[in-house]
Amino acid sequence: MRLLAKGAVALTAIAVLAGCSAGAGSSASGKTQLDWWVINPASPTAAAAQDKIIKDFEAANPDITIKKTNRAVDAHKDALRTSIGTSAAPDIYDFWAGPGLGGELVKNGASADLSSEYTQYKWPERFTEAALGPAKQYGGYHGVPWKLNGEALYYNKALFEKAGITKLPTTIDELNDAAAKLKDAGITPIEFGGTVNWHVMRLLDTFLEGYCGSETFDKLVTNKANWGQEECVTKSFTNLQKWSKDYFNTGFIGINNDESSALFFSGKAAMALEGDWFNAQIKDNAKAEDFGVFPLPTGTGRMYGFEQAMYITKDSKHKDAAAKFLDFMMSTPVQQETLGQFSTQSVNKEVKPAASDELSKSWNGIFENAEGLYMNNDQNLTQAQTTEYWRIQNLVATGGLDPANAGAEFQKFLDSSK
Amino acid sequence: MSKLTATRLETLPGPVTRQPSKKPLLKRIAGGGFVAALPFLAPALAAYVVFVIGPMVSAVRLSLFEWSGFNADPQVFVGFKNYVRLFTADPVFWTAMQNTIVWVLLSLVIPTSLGLVMALALNRPIFGRNLFRSVFYIPGVLAPIAIANMWRWMYNPNYGVFSELARAWHIGDGSGVTFLSDPKVAIYAIFAAFVWQIAGLNMVLFLAGLQSVSKELVESARLDGANNWKVFRHVTFPALRPTVVVVLVLTIVHSIKVFDLVVGMTGGGPAQSSQVLALWSYSQSFLQHDFGMGNAVATVLLGITLVLVIPYLIWSTKGNED
Repeated sequence: MRLLAKGAVALTAIAVLAGCSAGAGSSASGKTQLDWWVINPASPTAAAAQDKIIKDFEAANPDITIKKTNRAVDAHKDALRTSIGTSAAPDIYDFWAGPGLGGELVKNGASADLSSEYTQYKWPERFTEAALGPAKQYGGYHGVPWKLNGEALYYNKALFEKAGITKLPTTIDELNDAAAKLKDAGITPIEFGGTVNWHVMRLLDTFLEGYCGSETFDKLVTNKANWGQEECVTKSFTNLQKWSKDYFNTGFIGINNDESSALFFSGKAAMALEGDWFNAQIKDNAKAEDFGVFPLPTGTGRMYGFEQAMYITKDSKHKDAAAKFLDFMMSTPVQQETLGQFSTQSVNKEVKPAASDELSKSWNGIFENAEGLYMNNDQNLTQAQTTEYWRIQNLVATGGLDPANAGAEFQKFLDSSK
Repeated sequence: MSKLTATRLETLPGPVTRQPSKKPLLKRIAGGGFVAALPFLAPALAAYVVFVIGPMVSAVRLSLFEWSGFNADPQVFVGFKNYVRLFTADPVFWTAMQNTIVWVLLSLVIPTSLGLVMALALNRPIFGRNLFRSVFYIPGVLAPIAIANMWRWMYNPNYGVFSELARAWHIGDGSGVTFLSDPKVAIYAIFAAFVWQIAGLNMVLFLAGLQSVSKELVESARLDGANNWKVFRHVTFPALRPTVVVVLVLTIVHSIKVFDLVVGMTGGGPAQSSQVLALWSYSQSFLQHDFGMGNAVATVLLGITLVLVIPYLIWSTKGNED
């Protein structure tokens, strides 16, 4: 009898526990739980800012709770691809807006068309035109603009001075000269972490934009020009090989971007090709006034960058609550409060950068003077194409492929995978 | 060695050879108690079919389709197109194949020999024997991804153990120690970690095998004047033959499916130079979202594994049924 009684108690406990776990996204207390998947914040300050957004939203909306999941870039991509279309998918996901990344998910039915939410919350009036562009590119509205990031060259003022660089480069040739001067002065000109292929890719993209010009660059990444027949492609790969051999930190390909960033913070490398989120990282790791930033000297006037958006999944059972949260997150007060934590500029047109420090002021100038945007190629190309682009980039960078053959090699892949 | 001794050593009994059964298959099944055992085997058999055979068949099937992996995206039958592309146009497949073959061949020689040598040494009554056994075995129980992180740290050109040693020994400034950065060296640098991980496991298997070596035979051989090498060559090694086969098969299986170490140390880079088939299959499916190509690689890998392992399975099951 005692055994039976114990069994009954255990069964009751299991039943109670099962009741507590109710259905996905709702709790026994009747609260709606939103699953929000976000890429790891770039710094502890940015992480704290994210947590505060959640706390403030939950305080204002006691019927909704947010369950945030942070992942590293590649882990985030993997998790989304394997969960979309299943019950494990989140309600809101953070992703890039480029056609090669965000576009793939939109194409495969991951993202909900938010046209009615855009009307309800008057989002078209809230966001800048630049920020709205990627959301409208697939028809309807996909994703809510979260941050528009620019990328540029950060530099160590003391090391530039030591190398005798008195004027910041404005062309690729001047950039080449500056790197040579740094090397001659016994300084590692630039740091890169090669295990995450997208880090070195930024420099190759820059050379392509600089040597090919914006029109040809766009044709190349949209399969309207032949990589094997454009002289500027060879020139770009040749310069990449020169830089990786002479100007990168030794052993760059065996370390990741965080490890290589440490070289920059500690004054062991003079430049870092990073985005405006790097301001917060510099502040967390070094004295911000020791560093400056200048636009990538491609000569085309376009800024290098990309947009990230918060997408609501098509199968989310809590679209209204998700839209409410995103409306709160992109509202003027929240955007004003968090400005500088995730990016130096806001997607909300009412929020003006305060430019409290020199790095932020420089970024304001970069954004204001930009004549358009050229995106990172892992945003432009499909995943398979990106993998091959990185393979060829790394082969050239490590001396395993003649730069003269790089363009043709990539074109061969593009042709074979059509 | 005298003529008499040589003759005696040559006539020492070898490993027991199994005689294949002459009974018809059906009789063997009925007479061997298989039917009586079936109810007990059924749950495990059902789980095996569902969780092992099912996914294998599914992988082979998917290799004949084009599919992005998204639920909304239809699977399109393309026949052998994925295989044709894999063998003729995939820029990484043959590198991955070559690396996998090299890995298997090296594994058959280095960690097995090392395991055997360690087992022979630690089978003797030496001081600290149990401590050494534990120390050598520990890497085998660590998670491969932890081992990968540890070795990646050791290989780090800025603060790794090897660069620090190079600095201490005044070999340059240490920054030239770039094992994982060199496309020609990376795969071997990862393999070194694999050897460290697996040699201890092999040692334990060999130690177990050594317990079955007849002490009487060893003593007889010594009385006949055989030196250590001859005792090993004519007595110990023949007795260890079944263990050697098990170790070799396990090593082949471990080698073919190597994944975690490569992911953790290079991700297949630089420039896919350390790519292996198991990782390439994963990358195609889960990173590039081409499940057809990914499963084509997985099917090739399955084929290679079966070709290498089936002979062992036949050998190991012969004579067990009577």
